[in-house]
Amino acid sequence: MMAQAPQSKEISIRQLAMTFESAEGESVEALHPIDLEIAAGEFVALVGPSGCGKSTILNILAGFLKPTGGQALVGGEPIKKPSIDRGVVFQDYALFPWLNIIDNVSFGLERMGVGKKERNEIAAEYLATVGLQEFERKKPSELSGGMKQRAAIARVFATDPSIILMDEPFGALDALTRRFLQHQLLEIWQKHKKTIIFVTHSVQEAVYLADRVLVMTARPGRIKMDNRIELPYPREFTTKGFRDHEKLIYDVLDEELAKSFDLESKGRFGD
Amino acid sequence: MTLIRLVLPYLYAAVAIVAVWQATVTLTNAHVAILPPPALAAQTFIELVSTGELFVHIRASLSRVIAAWGLSALVAVPLGLAMGRWRRFENIVDPVVELFRPISPLAWIPLAILWFGISEAGKIFIIFVATFFPILLNTVSGVKGVDKVLIRAGQVLGCEDEWSLFRKVILPAAMPTIIVGFRIAFGTGWAAIIAAELVAAQSGLGYLIADGMEILRSDLVMVGMVVIGVLGVLIDSVFRVISKHHDWGT
Repeated sequence: MMAQAPQSKEISIRQLAMTFESAEGESVEALHPIDLEIAAGEFVALVGPSGCGKSTILNILAGFLKPTGGQALVGGEPIKKPSIDRGVVFQDYALFPWLNIIDNVSFGLERMGVGKKERNEIAAEYLATVGLQEFERKKPSELSGGMKQRAAIARVFATDPSIILMDEPFGALDALTRRFLQHQLLEIWQKHKKTIIFVTHSVQEAVYLADRVLVMTARPGRIKMDNRIELPYPREFTTKGFRDHEKLIYDVLDEELAKSFDLESKGRFGD
Repeated sequence: MTLIRLVLPYLYAAVAIVAVWQATVTLTNAHVAILPPPALAAQTFIELVSTGELFVHIRASLSRVIAAWGLSALVAVPLGLAMGRWRRFENIVDPVVELFRPISPLAWIPLAILWFGISEAGKIFIIFVATFFPILLNTVSGVKGVDKVLIRAGQVLGCEDEWSLFRKVILPAAMPTIIVGFRIAFGTGWAAIIAAELVAAQSGLGYLIADGMEILRSDLVMVGMVVIGVLGVLIDSVFRVISKHHDWGT
């Protein structure tokens, strides 16, 4: 039995801005006021040069950071603090090392007050979805990086959040594992149709996964390009349509990368 | 097999110590009251075991250390959790802690007698001083060392208030470090029984040593020292087993 009826929510970002105080007391504009609408169930990838504020947007949406201007709404409600309704998949997995895999996956369900028997059933089902049914009783330290991230994905889907935020989730994995997990993520997403915001450095990954690829500028971060990918799933890296999208995005990105190196050499790079 | 591998190094060490001990006695021809031969100490040991007196002393010392150590844990763990989590609180408490920390448990003996008389409480107080700081400092560093990303993961998995975050994430994440603190504290507490039992004790391994000194029975002193050493190693290995159980191998 799956959790409640699948649900997802839209995201509205209005004049969202973020200015940090640097170590030298200088203020650094990380996000130039951004407006963005993301429909419920959409899979959006964010790409851009390092330090462009991709992770800042994600951290604001998660509720870890408070913006210094504007606001972000999820399902019409302003974000005040972290919530179980907005799931996060972290780059370094963030599994609880003292819990075995099934207890990690059912952690959120326990917090929601789901009884032991039911939450173990739900957790086992999501673990089976990511192919980890044999590893329920293992500790995270006994699993490979790819398996840990699969467990983390099972954990975030198990609580049935309205949106899922993924911060370079496959960045630390080898190319083959990465390909496999991308495929699995797409399968789960197509089944549950969650709103997903996916931060990545890989243009190929973004075009492979997302409905929409947003390309951000070098600091201060702005959205420079909103590229809708209308290729049918499953996508092939080698088709012309795929390559065209990649090229389009790289053209914009190259310009921004040059600017970001410029910033770096001026020493104003502080991420 | 593993048990043998664990015990063997200690056996070698024991044989080496006894050999040096015996050699020193033979070479220096020391008076029995200054350095008794191992055989005499062994004989005294067997006597103390057969009369059951040794076990009375062990139980007295051990129960004092356990009481003081438990009390320390009750105070130091909550205090350490708070200090590790709230920077402002730490800034206030830490200077106080740092001022008290260099003061040896021995220095507390006069005040312990004045405050608690010659009761059990005074002895427990001295061991408490010895066990408190290792537990406190390890708890603070354990809490501070919790990976920020685990706290964030807890927050987005339903630990929305500070208390549940503490219970479900921070405490279990800090536990291995806290257990190391428990282990170190038991060691320093065990070493402090001599100081504690200098205060008008009628029993205990520290008393055995102090008494042996007064009546010029250095064999009693040696037995007390050996038993403290051996029990210290045994207790520490129990803690090692426990902490291995809590070590999730990151």
